Amino acid sequence: MSAGASRFNLSSRIFGALSALPFTLVMLFGFVAPLICVVWFSFMPAHTFELLNRPTLENYQTVFGQTYWRSLLSSVLLAVAAVVILLIICYPLAFALAKIFNKFATFITYAIAVSLFVSENIRLYGWVLGLMDNGVLAGTLALFGIKAGSMLYNVPIIVLGMVYVYLPFMLFPLILGLQMVPDQVREAAFDLGASRWQVFRKIDVPLSMPGIIIGSLLTFVLALGALAEAKVMGGQKIISIAAEIESEFTYGQNWPLGSALSTLLIALTTVLVFIALSRLDLEKLLGRSREP
Amino acid sequence: MPGASATPAAPSILEVAGVTKQFGKFVAVNAVSFSVGEGEFFTLVGPSGSGKTTLLRMLVGMENPTAGEFRLRGKVMNDLPPNKRPTCMVFQSLALFPHMSVGKNVEFPLTVRGASESERRTRAWELLKLLHLDPNKYYDKNVTQCSGGERQRVALARALAYDPEILFFDEPLSAIDARLRKVLQKELKDIQRRTGKTFFYVTHSLEEAMLMSDRVAILRGGKVEQIGTPDEIYANPTSAFVAEFMGEVNLLEIAGNGSASANWLSGAKPVPVALPQTLPAGEARKLLVRPESLRFLTNGQQADNVLEGEVLNEFSLGSRMQYHVEVAGGLVLTVERLREQRVPLGPVKLGWDTRDSMLLTA
Repeated sequence: MSAGASRFNLSSRIFGALSALPFTLVMLFGFVAPLICVVWFSFMPAHTFELLNRPTLENYQTVFGQTYWRSLLSSVLLAVAAVVILLIICYPLAFALAKIFNKFATFITYAIAVSLFVSENIRLYGWVLGLMDNGVLAGTLALFGIKAGSMLYNVPIIVLGMVYVYLPFMLFPLILGLQMVPDQVREAAFDLGASRWQVFRKIDVPLSMPGIIIGSLLTFVLALGALAEAKVMGGQKIISIAAEIESEFTYGQNWPLGSALSTLLIALTTVLVFIALSRLDLEKLLGRSREP
Repeated sequence: MPGASATPAAPSILEVAGVTKQFGKFVAVNAVSFSVGEGEFFTLVGPSGSGKTTLLRMLVGMENPTAGEFRLRGKVMNDLPPNKRPTCMVFQSLALFPHMSVGKNVEFPLTVRGASESERRTRAWELLKLLHLDPNKYYDKNVTQCSGGERQRVALARALAYDPEILFFDEPLSAIDARLRKVLQKELKDIQRRTGKTFFYVTHSLEEAMLMSDRVAILRGGKVEQIGTPDEIYANPTSAFVAEFMGEVNLLEIAGNGSASANWLSGAKPVPVALPQTLPAGEARKLLVRPESLRFLTNGQQADNVLEGEVLNEFSLGSRMQYHVEVAGGLVLTVERLREQRVPLGPVKLGWDTRDSMLLTA
């Protein structure tokens, strides 16, 4: 290799490191440092506000000894329900957008993306106005003599809220996943005698699996940490794990317990993410190794 | 006689009857009719835009014809979807299933039909062997790790596993390098002979068509221009289009004057040439003279047509040599001779006999 080329390599390496520096600093101080603090805090004695006490496991004993695990479980179940419903709703739509609609697809994509421009809380309170006793829906039905009452504050409505808020996070990865399924491969399967259902099961699903995994993971993690849906639309019917954490850090004034709950939630999410990502070829998804 | 084999020698398996396909006002395929014989290697050939791909897509059921019928053993199959047709296709992109091994790809048609695992495996094993892919090595190999030639064979094995009545090919060899393509063309012909299946091949290369096929149909602007065996098409092209499509030939623009000689009009001034037959006055034709029909004349040798010229370039084709010879002030003729008959660059006398030339319409 010539001297010029190696000098170029060196300078481009420095340039790369410099470009990455601002982001590295943000991640270090904004993400890694607080995370370490939270994990460390979870080992401090209950109701203390210092990081220099003797480490203890009492917070974890409290979590598993009392009813906090119920909140964790209900958050997981709600998230699973939301992901399953989202998959059922979004897959056909994503298929249409990726394979059938052509020009119309761009319009629908923008329309869905625009909904992200409005704050989540505002959208949820819109739902509340719509569904509350004497709200838009109940009021309209009352005109026709149907008594509906409030449709808020129950489990299905919490799931509905999650499904609605996280829909784009499932839809867009699914579209990307389905765009990775070559049309000729689908045609070939059909030509070789496969029925529509067999093409779906043996070709579409496996080949769009990266999109399915990423969409599910994204919405699951978001729904697991969701606070607003259960609070705004669910009243206090279900206390999500995020709500428990919030109350420990605020009303409860028990930061170590809040930290222990947070650490458990983070650990659960991390395990799921690693399991999911190990089944995924990210290189392929990003188009670096092309299908021959 | 041109088009002597317009009908197949064997009883016909597929009949295309007056098939037309229109996209809006554009007529992609225009009232095409022909039939394909049982066990025949039939090739549809044409330049891009000739309608060959549209015709193929209709044949496999991915498009519907605007008019006309496809009959398989006498049964109309216009309305059958691709997965209900007893035919299948090897795609241009091959369309292998990237998430499956070679073995699972080959077994796919059997899997969707609900065949037992042992049956599937036995058949896949047989087919891989037939296609010179060692099953021990390839059965579990990922298709994405196979070379271009191996992938061709996997695609063919998968199509054969479907056990189709007719196997269609959509230019599967077009993306393969020239040397490997020649090997695979001959292999394909060999597989066809050994399995006795009817192969229906589509290509833009007449050379490829001539090499493999029992019969060839040449498509031009959505219509069948000529249909026949490779020999018939070589010996008797019905038009200059077919002759030109076949490879490098000399086509001389001729205007008739009611006799067996006429003027070659392409150059700055007309050159008189002798014709194989009388051409009525006012008729325009192209005179086909093959590169191998042109001779360099040494002292005393005679020919019906003799032109003074100059050898400009020499190209080696291996056992033969090709020359570009300038005649009659600016016109270039292509000449091919055996290597033993090489000539130096410079002035030559060039000649051909009228019986080696042919008058064709454009």
